[in-house]
Amino acid sequence: MSIEKRMLARELKLAAARPGDIFKPMWFLMLVISMVPLALSPDSVLLADIGSAMIWVATLLALLLNTEHLFQSDFSDGVLEQWLFLDRPLAWLVGLKLIVHWLFHVVPLICITPIAGLMLSVPTDVLIALLMTLVVATPALTCFSGLGAALTLGSSRSGILGVLVMMPLFVPVVILAAGVLIRATDGSEILPLMALLGAFSLVAATLVPIAVSAAIRLNIGGSN
Amino acid sequence: MSWRWFHQWGSPRWFYERAGRWQLVCGWLALILLVVGSLWGLGFAPVDYQQGNSYRIIYLHVPVAFLAQAMYAAMAVCAVVLFVWKMKLADVAMQAIAVTGLAFTVLSLVSGAVWGKPTWGTYWVWDARLTSMLILGFLYLGLIGLRAAIQDPDQAGKACGILVLVGVVNLPIIKYSVEWWNTLHQPASLKLTEKPTMPASMWMPLLVNILGYYIAAAYLVLGSMRAIVIGRERRASWVKELVGRA
Repeated sequence: MSIEKRMLARELKLAAARPGDIFKPMWFLMLVISMVPLALSPDSVLLADIGSAMIWVATLLALLLNTEHLFQSDFSDGVLEQWLFLDRPLAWLVGLKLIVHWLFHVVPLICITPIAGLMLSVPTDVLIALLMTLVVATPALTCFSGLGAALTLGSSRSGILGVLVMMPLFVPVVILAAGVLIRATDGSEILPLMALLGAFSLVAATLVPIAVSAAIRLNIGGSN
Repeated sequence: MSWRWFHQWGSPRWFYERAGRWQLVCGWLALILLVVGSLWGLGFAPVDYQQGNSYRIIYLHVPVAFLAQAMYAAMAVCAVVLFVWKMKLADVAMQAIAVTGLAFTVLSLVSGAVWGKPTWGTYWVWDARLTSMLILGFLYLGLIGLRAAIQDPDQAGKACGILVLVGVVNLPIIKYSVEWWNTLHQPASLKLTEKPTMPASMWMPLLVNILGYYIAAAYLVLGSMRAIVIGRERRASWVKELVGRA
């Protein structure tokens, strides 16, 4: 069996062994969404106006929550060290790990956003645009928060530092996604902005794993 | 060709002594330029026909805003030097610039808020340049936090270097996306490629002040670099000698 296949099998087993890791961010997302009408007003017109933006922000936070310790267990049980000895570039393995993480931990999150959308009475066409932006944008977000997780691997007292460090870099993604949602609301063309968002995501998914692998190397043994 | 000029940068002691002299020069030069520029700008430049005297905060606001952005670029250069030539002094510079850069960012946000109240009627608006400056501040803060969280200085330096490089690639994207998102700020007062929209009697003192603030920033960075060098080399004999003498 190739290394990639074995890695995938391992990740699959790990995900199955810890269903809580998949479930908790979804739970968090729904809780945040339930707070919105309580804090604002149950008026459905008002909720429909801000609903899609609220869901976006809540999904972003939930994603950060479950990516924060992405490499922690692999770091402490020595798996990352073993990666260095494989005849594969570290950036490639990191990329695989990020893809698997996105599939198992981020896609479920996206899957429940329609329910949140219905609860905040977001119109259907905006909801479809929302789903599209999340699918296109989350790979970039996953990569960046993975970098935050890798940079703070070695420090025991980092807390949510990885999140704080990476969040400013999310600005372009959030702005573009918000642009798509605004256009979807007033019914104009969303494709150009979606293309930009996709381009950003692709570039991030190609380049950030290299930075992540540098950060991992740094935390293992210190020198390269 | 002798490589002495290059290798001496690897010696903390050489840098410490040399930087002390540079600092002295920078300090006096900055003081003279800032006194001249500020007196000229605050006392003698003409009154703006629209904003009255309140525009005069430009002589503080524009230089510090310039510097806040320039220092991030300077940090990126240091990060490249750190990774390519493994020069530890570049890491020291990065650490010094991060703190100074954050100070300038805060100063530009505060002076902008003070200026915004009389001209826009509010301290804060979610305008493009204010927002990207705020994000820049968070980037600086992240660097300082990351360094504080990692104990080994070498490792902390490299981690910060990675973050700076990722940040510098993103910074233009952030800037343009924010600009696209919303803009209501007056267009930039000084651009290198265009003729300024102000009369010479207004922008001349501004130019003097910009130069003055740049040199003052060099003074501050050199000072904090010296302090960091002393701290990191505290076990070296020359530092012990130096401290003993004092």
